[in-house]
Amino acid sequence: MGDPVPTVKFLGLTFNIANDISIVITCLIVFLFVFLLSRHIALKPKGGQNVLEWLIEFTNGIVKGSIKGNDAGRFGLYAFTLFLFIFVANQLGLFIHVQVGDYTYVKSPTADPIVTLTLSFMTVALAHAAGVQKQGMKGYLKSYTSPFLVFLPINIFEQFTDFLTLGLRLFGNIFAGEMLLGKVASLATGGSGWFSYVYAFPIEFLWQGFSVFIGSVQAFVFVTLTSVYISQKVSTEE
Amino acid sequence: MLSHLIIGASGLYLGDMLFIAISFIILMAVIAKVAWNPITKMMGDRADKIANDIDSAQKSRQEASDLADQRREALSHSRQEASDIVSDAKQSGEQQRATIVSDAQNEAAQYKQNARKDIEQERQDALKNVQSDVADISVQIASKIIKKQLDPEGQQALINSYIEGLGKHES
Repeated sequence: MGDPVPTVKFLGLTFNIANDISIVITCLIVFLFVFLLSRHIALKPKGGQNVLEWLIEFTNGIVKGSIKGNDAGRFGLYAFTLFLFIFVANQLGLFIHVQVGDYTYVKSPTADPIVTLTLSFMTVALAHAAGVQKQGMKGYLKSYTSPFLVFLPINIFEQFTDFLTLGLRLFGNIFAGEMLLGKVASLATGGSGWFSYVYAFPIEFLWQGFSVFIGSVQAFVFVTLTSVYISQKVSTEE
Repeated sequence: MLSHLIIGASGLYLGDMLFIAISFIILMAVIAKVAWNPITKMMGDRADKIANDIDSAQKSRQEASDLADQRREALSHSRQEASDIVSDAKQSGEQQRATIVSDAQNEAAQYKQNARKDIEQERQDALKNVQSDVADISVQIASKIIKKQLDPEGQQALINSYIEGLGKHES
């Protein structure tokens, strides 16, 4: 977890190479996972297809839990991809940490607020777009004044808090997990000889397992909140 | 570490944001093509197939129960028919027996009557024969009496011969 980040300027935009490499790896892992499991799709499912269908049912269940009616079907793919992406991204840093020089090139991309806030931004943007599409611009704008006009500033403020909490929650959890993992690792390497490995190993082991759990829960929470935000925008006020 | 979050310090990493968004959208598109669309289509097909199967199973069960009802009805029907046939046969047998017996009785009575008539006829015939015989014999006797009346010997002889003849006739 080196403090300096490897950056590249291209077309006036700043790129963080570590993030980008991690994201590409995450995307590749997700793609390969889905690709290999979906090779023999049959009416009577077996093996990989069962796993994929179970995952699809799982994410569809999350979406249908908050979005009612026919709208749920349209967000199934987004929820599925989001869940797999965040899940893999959360676990990536627990297993692989590539450090060259001062720079860490491969880590959990979700341990960077830029990544989580971008995902959060995509969700919020999708929610607003779906709201406008569903209720029309007038109904969408009107929803800000519900239940009373007094709530207008609160409602506007809520959009920003939703966006920030969604992204920062994920970032905080994963960043803290990686940070502590690094600290425990340095406890072993920086400690007094071989003895430090003896007590550092079970702590590292436990914390790694707990981080896997947290990563899964956070992926679930992110997708759940995504569907909640979308449903808030899509559902017409009674 | 968080210094790059502060806008202006090293510039908001807009490039990263674009990179994330674009790679995520590409990932979504690829997953849609490779897995999502075929699998959801297959799941829909399966749901349809299961629904169809349930429907057709219900239909066949209905058909089977209908058929069973039909069979049961036909069975009871045929049982009824069989008992009808048996009772019919019994009845007609009874009837036939009665007619045969009565025919036989009639015939027997007829025969009896005929026989009685024949006997009567025979008796009458016999009586008639006897009567004509008696008349003949009387005439003969009378003629014989008349023939031998002139002399007493002759009369005696006549009477004797007559008696003899009578005895002969009797024996």
